[in-house]
Amino acid sequence: MIHVPAPDPFTVFGVPRTLDLDARELERRYLRLSRECHPDHLRTQDANDCLAVLQRAAEVNDAWKTLRDPWTRAKALLEAESPGVLDANKKLDPAFLADALELAEEVAFVRPEQVGALRARLQQALDADFAALRADVARSDLPAAARRVHGAHYHKKALADLEHKA
Amino acid sequence: MTTAPQSSTGPRLVLGIDLGTTNSLAAVRAGKGARVLRDRDGEPLTPSVVCLHPDGRTIVGRDAKSLRLDFPERTVFSIKRLIGRSAAEVQQEATRLPYRVVAGDRGLPRVQIGDQQWTPESISALILQQVKATAEQALGQVVREAVVTVPAWFDDAQRQATKDAAQLAGLECLRILNEPTAAALAYGIDGSKDGTALVYDLGGGTFDVSILRIDDGVFRVLSTAGDTHLGGDDFDELLCQRILAQLPPTSDPYVLQAVRAAAEGLKIRLSDAERAELELDLGARGAVKLAVTRAEFEAAIAPLVQRTLDCVTRAVKDAGLQLHELDDVVLVGGSTRVPLVRDRLQALTGKTPHTGVDPDLAVALGAAIQADVLAGNDRSLLLLDVIPLSLGLETLGGAVQKLILRNSTIPTSVTEEFSTGVDNQTAVDLTIYQGERELSHDCRLLGRFQLRGLPALPAGLPRIAVTFLVDADGVLRVTAREQRTGAQASIQIVPTFGLTRDEVRKMMLDSIEHAQQDYVAREAIDLRNKAEAMVRGTQKALQMADLPPDQTYAVQKATKALQKLLAANADAAALKAGCDELTKLTATIADDVISSAVTKALKADETR
Repeated sequence: MIHVPAPDPFTVFGVPRTLDLDARELERRYLRLSRECHPDHLRTQDANDCLAVLQRAAEVNDAWKTLRDPWTRAKALLEAESPGVLDANKKLDPAFLADALELAEEVAFVRPEQVGALRARLQQALDADFAALRADVARSDLPAAARRVHGAHYHKKALADLEHKA
Repeated sequence: MTTAPQSSTGPRLVLGIDLGTTNSLAAVRAGKGARVLRDRDGEPLTPSVVCLHPDGRTIVGRDAKSLRLDFPERTVFSIKRLIGRSAAEVQQEATRLPYRVVAGDRGLPRVQIGDQQWTPESISALILQQVKATAEQALGQVVREAVVTVPAWFDDAQRQATKDAAQLAGLECLRILNEPTAAALAYGIDGSKDGTALVYDLGGGTFDVSILRIDDGVFRVLSTAGDTHLGGDDFDELLCQRILAQLPPTSDPYVLQAVRAAAEGLKIRLSDAERAELELDLGARGAVKLAVTRAEFEAAIAPLVQRTLDCVTRAVKDAGLQLHELDDVVLVGGSTRVPLVRDRLQALTGKTPHTGVDPDLAVALGAAIQADVLAGNDRSLLLLDVIPLSLGLETLGGAVQKLILRNSTIPTSVTEEFSTGVDNQTAVDLTIYQGERELSHDCRLLGRFQLRGLPALPAGLPRIAVTFLVDADGVLRVTAREQRTGAQASIQIVPTFGLTRDEVRKMMLDSIEHAQQDYVAREAIDLRNKAEAMVRGTQKALQMADLPPDQTYAVQKATKALQKLLAANADAAALKAGCDELTKLTATIADDVISSAVTKALKADETR
């Protein structure tokens, strides 16, 4: 028996594998798929059918969770296009890392009156990360895109830490 | 038991039942909405009270409630606070009850009435039977199926116990439904009100808050939070203390019961009046005369109300929303009649709370809607609920790796890959925890899963994909498969008792209070695991790599130093320095042989 991996979220939703998806359209699709697949609407006595229905509904919920956030969507896109690309490109540019660590340091020692400005800077950094990611994907440089995803993680973590402190 | 005729040939009829701490009731779908089923006197509510009369009769509901003062030690109420929990866990609770609660088999609580012992399930079943009889009488037909509601934060054991009670009462429970979710259904029955709603459900004994998104008949729970030990009873308790302070110290159940009833009356009067007076004459047992102003009452309950608001704030945050993004605020539960509750909630959200549906009836009405959906009669509505507590897996050293985060929409599934740590290992134990804390001993053990029949392979080579699936009832199912051979690993589940309410609340509070502390402890464990893996990986890599002697020596030296730190149980800072040193050294070595081998070893360890 061969293990069948879970279909990628783009396939589950029947949408093209692209980075930019219309949020409203995605949500509409989620609601429609939920209506079609939810066990409440597909009640059956057969245990095997039951499990299949559950699996499908879980796939839909999990795909929605992945696709609705641009960063998890990006990860899924890279993994679907080139399996393993995320794992194989974890080494980040030392200069980038130094910058990221500096930002983390700033978050650690931020004074209350600086929170707003720092938040804006981190948000800007994340926006820049995503713009760069989009450019990487556009010229099919998936390893670069993967590194971009890993790099953005530092900015996201710094932002989360900042919100936690604030 | 009933004289009602056998079920007719109409659409399948499923009851929605709100089995409350204080009152219970049933409703059925009627047209586009739902209607509450009333008894012969037109009363919808059945008090959740059971009197086991000395003459052998079992009296349930209003008549039982009126016997509370005559037979305080034989009249059982608030049984919902005991169901699905252990005797030890409810000990504190039981001291406030006039009837006796003792430890029975397996440490489960039993209500002791005379020389008879009753389980909480059987008491609840008596209440459900009464509700069922009332419903059948109102409908003129027999009913066999129901959706029964529970607080969103009820755990597996409590949900299961509630299901058992339904079965004891002769009802098949098609679904255990969360109360705030049910209330939201009642509020948006016609499905035309799209938007985001906050449901604030303050009952007699529990508090729940849920954020829902309603889109064209699809009700999506975005987040849920709550406090399992906070409700109107606690407001009463504060007034009780004031009254009792004027009486000689007593544990007389008659006095306690009379004081409780007087306190409840005071609270209700203070909802409309600025000042309420109480004259309580207990004959030889004493007398109380006192006046309470609303301001005094509000000052006393303000900290409790604030706790509910903290939950609201958290739920809104968990839903990824801001307070101003809420379209509607819905009130459920009798305790939301307290003016301070409404005022504070309105001040926090900036929305006038919606009171279109009677807060006492909303939950049953919503349950009836969902019952009709499950009966297959209505496909225009769909409810998407969430899992209230995270599920996680114990990793090396007692840390918990979250598999499924709280507030994930159910059904949901996660597939994780595991490997073995020892050559020819054929079994792997997985331990599942429920809770929000970082360390397993702070979470509640949900069960152990043992993967058996793995192919005998060198350590790290088997790849076992384990799928954790949470179904629409919020129950976990696990399947596993070895990836290389395709062999289905068999799974044995060792169930344990579910989480207790106290623990859930405590766990949630603790996870906030101890977040920092947890983080440090978790970091130390992670670091230790990393250091151990680095030592193993480096040693293996040294055997494989063909390095110049001086480099081999330098790496060996750093590895030994790290080993020594581990043996000496060095603190996190020292371990980190040791790891960094070794990393620096291996990183400088020309070929990536060592570092890639170490990375590989680390990865295998992470997934173990």
